[in-house]
Amino acid sequence: MAQPTPLLKGTLDVLVLKSLCWGAMHGFEITVWLEDHSAGYLAVDDGALYQALHRMEERLLIRAEWGITENNRRARYYMLTATGRAHLRSESASLVRYARTVMAILAEHPA
Amino acid sequence: MTGPIRAGVRRLFRLAVRRGDSIREQMDEELRFHLDARVAHFIARGMTPEGARAEAMRRLGTSLPETLDRLGRSAVWKEQRMAMRERIDDLMHDVRYAVRGLMRRPGFAVVAVFTLAIGIGANTAIFSAVDALLLRALPFNNPSRLSDIALTSTSGGPTQWSWPKFQVYRNAQRSYSSVALMATMPATLTGADPDRISIESVTAAYLTTLGVRITMGHDFPAEQDSISGDAPKRALISNSLWQRRFQADPNVVGKFIHIDSDAYEIIGVLPPTFLGLSGKADVLIPVTARPTDELAAAQAWSLEYTMIGRLKPGVMPGRAASEARILGERVYDAYPFGKGMFTTGTADKWSAVARPLDTIRVAATVRRSLLVLFVAVGIVLLIACVNLANLLLGRASSRRQEIAVRLAIGAGRARLVRLLLTESLLLALAGGTASVLVGWWGTHLLRTLNDADALSAQGLASGIGGSGFESIRLDPRALVFTFAVTLFVGVFFGLVPALQATRPQLTAELKDGSSGSGLGGVRLGATRRILVVAEVALALMLLAGSGLMLRSLRNLMGVNPGFDSDRVLTLRLSVPPGVVAPDSMPGFYQEVQSALAAVPGVLQVALADCPPLNGGCNATIMTFPDRPQTVTGNAMVGVHWVSPSWFGTMRVPVKRGRLFTTDDRLGGPKVVVINEAAARKYFPNEDPVGKTVKVFQGGFDAGATVIGIVGDVRFGTVNSAAAPDTYISYNQARVSRMMIFLRTAGNPLTVVASARRTLHVIAPLDPVFDIRTMSERVGAATSQARFSATLLTLFAVIALGLAFMGIYGVMSFGVAQRTREIGIRIALGADRTRVLRMIVREGAVLVTIGAAIGLAAAFALTRLLRTLLFEVAPTDPVTYVGIVVVVGVAALVASWLPARQASRVEPTEALRR
Repeated sequence: MAQPTPLLKGTLDVLVLKSLCWGAMHGFEITVWLEDHSAGYLAVDDGALYQALHRMEERLLIRAEWGITENNRRARYYMLTATGRAHLRSESASLVRYARTVMAILAEHPA
Repeated sequence: MTGPIRAGVRRLFRLAVRRGDSIREQMDEELRFHLDARVAHFIARGMTPEGARAEAMRRLGTSLPETLDRLGRSAVWKEQRMAMRERIDDLMHDVRYAVRGLMRRPGFAVVAVFTLAIGIGANTAIFSAVDALLLRALPFNNPSRLSDIALTSTSGGPTQWSWPKFQVYRNAQRSYSSVALMATMPATLTGADPDRISIESVTAAYLTTLGVRITMGHDFPAEQDSISGDAPKRALISNSLWQRRFQADPNVVGKFIHIDSDAYEIIGVLPPTFLGLSGKADVLIPVTARPTDELAAAQAWSLEYTMIGRLKPGVMPGRAASEARILGERVYDAYPFGKGMFTTGTADKWSAVARPLDTIRVAATVRRSLLVLFVAVGIVLLIACVNLANLLLGRASSRRQEIAVRLAIGAGRARLVRLLLTESLLLALAGGTASVLVGWWGTHLLRTLNDADALSAQGLASGIGGSGFESIRLDPRALVFTFAVTLFVGVFFGLVPALQATRPQLTAELKDGSSGSGLGGVRLGATRRILVVAEVALALMLLAGSGLMLRSLRNLMGVNPGFDSDRVLTLRLSVPPGVVAPDSMPGFYQEVQSALAAVPGVLQVALADCPPLNGGCNATIMTFPDRPQTVTGNAMVGVHWVSPSWFGTMRVPVKRGRLFTTDDRLGGPKVVVINEAAARKYFPNEDPVGKTVKVFQGGFDAGATVIGIVGDVRFGTVNSAAAPDTYISYNQARVSRMMIFLRTAGNPLTVVASARRTLHVIAPLDPVFDIRTMSERVGAATSQARFSATLLTLFAVIALGLAFMGIYGVMSFGVAQRTREIGIRIALGADRTRVLRMIVREGAVLVTIGAAIGLAAAFALTRLLRTLLFEVAPTDPVTYVGIVVVVGVAALVASWLPARQASRVEPTEALRR
């Protein structure tokens, strides 16, 4: 397994919101999703993830509900709110713009 | 737009606010699940259980308990913040809803806010006055331990002290840690740029008793009180005089100040907040600096000083009071009336009384009128609130269907009440804010309306230590009061309509939106009818009070004071003692008189030491040498020094005998003129002219002949009959402080400038002051009564207006709700007049009940006014009949207007609704 890259500040929230686009997930599912989708390159600190969830729940970007897993265990499921969806749209757009710009600069070669 | 989710969504999803420990438990559970899932995940990928567990823990960060704690705390904070935000959202929602509702009916909102602004503002203003004059602590250290100690006699009320009597009391008393005397008097600051100042003549312990510490210089030495007269002339000056006259000179102590041509050494400067008991002291000087003969035992009956005392720690006021009674008698025993001083009249028993200083801070009539006004503004506010409640009730019932729907889909009643309450609170807050303007204006008016001079002219204490009318301010205390009243109004008078509107009988409302469409019966509802009755009753009570006060004022204005005040100018010339030799004083004034008589526009010139309606003048004892000395009492008479021309100038009629002539002069046989009251009281069955009397003042105690009787002049107050008075000619007695009276051809104010110029030529160093027309003086003398009557009438008119609006509102609402019924009646052939009569009758019944209750309450309440009324009984039938007519007519008009509208209903129009 390659050495995971620590997350850039501020990107965790957007990635979590993105993961919830596909439907309600509990905290562990979110970490797995992030690891799968980054091919293991992104390392998520579990404690930080839950604090991010609290933060976004407070900002009404997501809401939480207790549900039952396939293995019949109680778990807290998180889902996007309309606000969260809108937030995701605007944040991901600006993040993509940022990444593109950085990439374009780094891709330049001395003449 | 990315707004937050609507309030209520959380509840919809059962995300009730949770308590801290349950949130932590949930966080624990969530994290345990996370760990288990992670471990299972690693095992599924082929790790050993131990390795999987270790890796899962590593991913969690530091130790498990630490993480749990951190996340638990974060979860609790989140919940709390969300709950808080939700409450704010709810509130904002309610406010928005209320604002929208009010915007939809701006007329309603404006009327409500305006009504409340007046109601609350009037309360704020009167509260400020009550606070300044009655409630606020006196500006002295620990004022509750201060007493006023006064001499009393059975025939007169509390009176003042002389230096000899004070000494007896001071040496015997055991209740007070210190007692002190104070007398206030005007004086002239002589020298270059002469100035009128106010002096307090005090004993050494004055400042100690009041608890005032001198910051610059030092207090009067205690030993100054061990000598009776001619003590060193020392002065303590007020901070403002120090700034004004000495430009805040830091080396002022040791300098001299010239008061009435006497040099006083300045020994200290008073703190800026201290203005003395009189509230206007510029300089304090020692009592004992007066000449010895003025403080001698012979002057024991020169009662001119107020005494205060500070209770010793632990001494109850009751003990001091009983001590005062005993010592008062001892004081009398020490200085009984001299031989030959007992004459006619009833036996007088002298004693002393000690009262908390706070109880004498304002005169009883002022206190009483303030309380009456406070009750009056309370009633005005109550009516305003009843109107508000009525309006809200009307709104609520027109929104019944909306409310019923909300209740039906499960909105909690508490939530709905809160919603409606927000509206009334919003109105109240808007009204309260607007009321600050009304209150500011009102306090300004109160401050200027009743100045201290006018009050003292009516013999009324105008506040101790500067806590009088001039100290009325819209201060933070008043604003807190306003805010409290506003909240109370908003909650209390919004609550009743809100509770009523959300009464859970929804089915009927849902089935039939227009609840008022049923036939017959009054649709006003019990609550609204009670409100109408209450309004009528309250307005009637106020009107009764103001009616009585107005009648009393009319009686007061109708009093003949005994002289003609029209076109008379009065002014004073301050002649400091010593500037003009006492014996040449008549000559000096003769010069003044003839100079002024030459001023164009001046018809007559006269002098007197004390103007009429002054709140009281100098008085002394009169005896009758040709009668047997019976030890039964004493004959008190007022003594007035006048010029021979005074009676003519003031148009005081001669009843018998003759007036003074220029032949009655110093050295000639002494003569006096008495008034009719004195003739009636002291010469009941004989002709006083030619009789000999002894007047213990001005050197007339050797005996003088009564030469004439003049009509009674009221020197005290307008509402008290003239006391027995004697007049002596200023040509026969030396006196320095005379008031000048000018009768003029036209407006007396037009001669002011030339009179001033003339006086400046004769006496360039003597300031001219106290320039007022006699009409102004008469006006000032009734200002207290006018003040109460005007304000009370103002409040009563407002109350009547509000009640009119209230009745009109209720009746037109009732009519509007019955339009269909009325339409049917008319369609079926009912006479329009009968419809009119039917509705007016409904109003009349309510008004009659209200009037009956109001009358009963007014009968009980107007007793409060008894001491304020002049020659009117609190149960004066004319007043009552009058106000019942006024209220009745107003109420009938208020219900006739909507009724007329109803009787004009077109049946087709009404039925279509």
